[in-house]
Amino acid sequence: MAESKKTEIARRIADELASSHVKLVASLPDNWIAELIDTIDRDSRFSHIPVNREESAVGLCSGAYMGGMGACALMGASGFMTLVYAITKINYTYEIPIFVMITWRGAFGDPHRHHSSNGLYLKPVLDAISLPYTVIDKPEDIGKIGTVYHHAMHYMRPAVVALTRDLLQ
Amino acid sequence: MKLEDCFRFLAARRTDQLVITSAGQSGNAWWDITRDSDATFHLSASMSLSTMFASGLALALPQARFWAFMGDGAFCMNPGALMVERQMNLPNLTHLLVSNRHYGATSNAPVPNKDHNDYAAIARGMGLERVFAFDSLAAMEQQFDAAVLGNAKGHTFVVLEVETHTGRRFEQAPDGTELKYRFGRHVEKLTGCDVFGYRV
Repeated sequence: MAESKKTEIARRIADELASSHVKLVASLPDNWIAELIDTIDRDSRFSHIPVNREESAVGLCSGAYMGGMGACALMGASGFMTLVYAITKINYTYEIPIFVMITWRGAFGDPHRHHSSNGLYLKPVLDAISLPYTVIDKPEDIGKIGTVYHHAMHYMRPAVVALTRDLLQ
Repeated sequence: MKLEDCFRFLAARRTDQLVITSAGQSGNAWWDITRDSDATFHLSASMSLSTMFASGLALALPQARFWAFMGDGAFCMNPGALMVERQMNLPNLTHLLVSNRHYGATSNAPVPNKDHNDYAAIARGMGLERVFAFDSLAAMEQQFDAAVLGNAKGHTFVVLEVETHTGRRFEQAPDGTELKYRFGRHVEKLTGCDVFGYRV
C-alpha cells in the first residue's frame, strides 16, 4: 500500500535526522508534527523522550551534546516562543549547540487564528536573538535539515529548521 | 542541617561522580567547597534545567555516574521535569534536591507554599521508587551511603532539607565557555566519547 503524504514526509525527515547522527529526539506535540513524532517514537534509531515543556528539551539536548550524543528538540512554534531565556542562557553563554525543529505557525495558509501571535512575532523573536533558521516548505528541501544541524555543530550555536503546513499536511 | 555541613559531607562521599550544579547557593556552595571545574559543570542560572541537562549527559554516557543539584526554588519552576526523569529512569543519575524553602541566591525570598511542599511525596506521586530524604547530618551519616552510593536499578531522588543560609557569601561559581571546554575535555578523557569533534 502506498504511503500517505504525511507518512512519507515523516519518514524522510526521520531518515534525514538519523543520517545527520541525531540519536536523541526530545519532543512536545503540535498537530502538524503528530505523524513525525509517532514515526520517530517507533524508530529504533532514536531515543525519543516526550518532555513536559520546551525548556526541558533544551536542557536535555544540551546535556546530550556534552555527552557526545546528537540531539534534536522538536516542538511547535508556540513552545519555541517560551525558549528565549533557556537558549540565550545555556546555548549562548556556554556556546553549546542545539538543533531545534519547529512548526512555522501563523504563516500564510495556517487557518488557526490562535496562532496569530506566532504569525506576528515568531520571526521577529528569532531575529531578535540572532538565531539562524531556515524554512522548509517542500519535500525536495528536507535535505537542508542535515545542513542546518551540522551548521549548529560547527559553529557551536543554536540553529532552527521551521516546517510549514504545505510540507507537513 | 546547615548547608555547608551537608555539602562538605557530600564532597567527602563523592567518588567518581560527574556533577551538574544548579543556580544559586547549591552551586556556589559546591564550588566553594570543591573548587572543581573539571568534573563539575556549573550550570548557573538555568532556572530549573540542571537535572534535564544531567539527564541528557546520563543518557549519552551510561558508563558514567552523575549527581545533579537543584535548589527547591528551581524545582518549583519546573516540577514536571521530574516526570521526564521518572520516564527516563536512568540508574546512573541522582537528583539532589537542596531544599531551604527560599530562593537563596535572590534575597532569600520564600518559595511558594513553602511550609507545605513535600518534595519526597511529590516524587513518589510521579512514580519514583528510589526516593530518600535527609534533614540532619546524623541521618546522612547513617543512611546516605547505603541509599545513594550503591548500584541503582533506576533514577534516584534525594531531598536534602537544609537551613536557610545566612552566613558568609559563597564565591560565585565559574560560568561561560571555559567551563564547557574544561568539563567536556574531562568527559572525553574519562569516557572516550567525542564531545567537540565535528559530527559530519
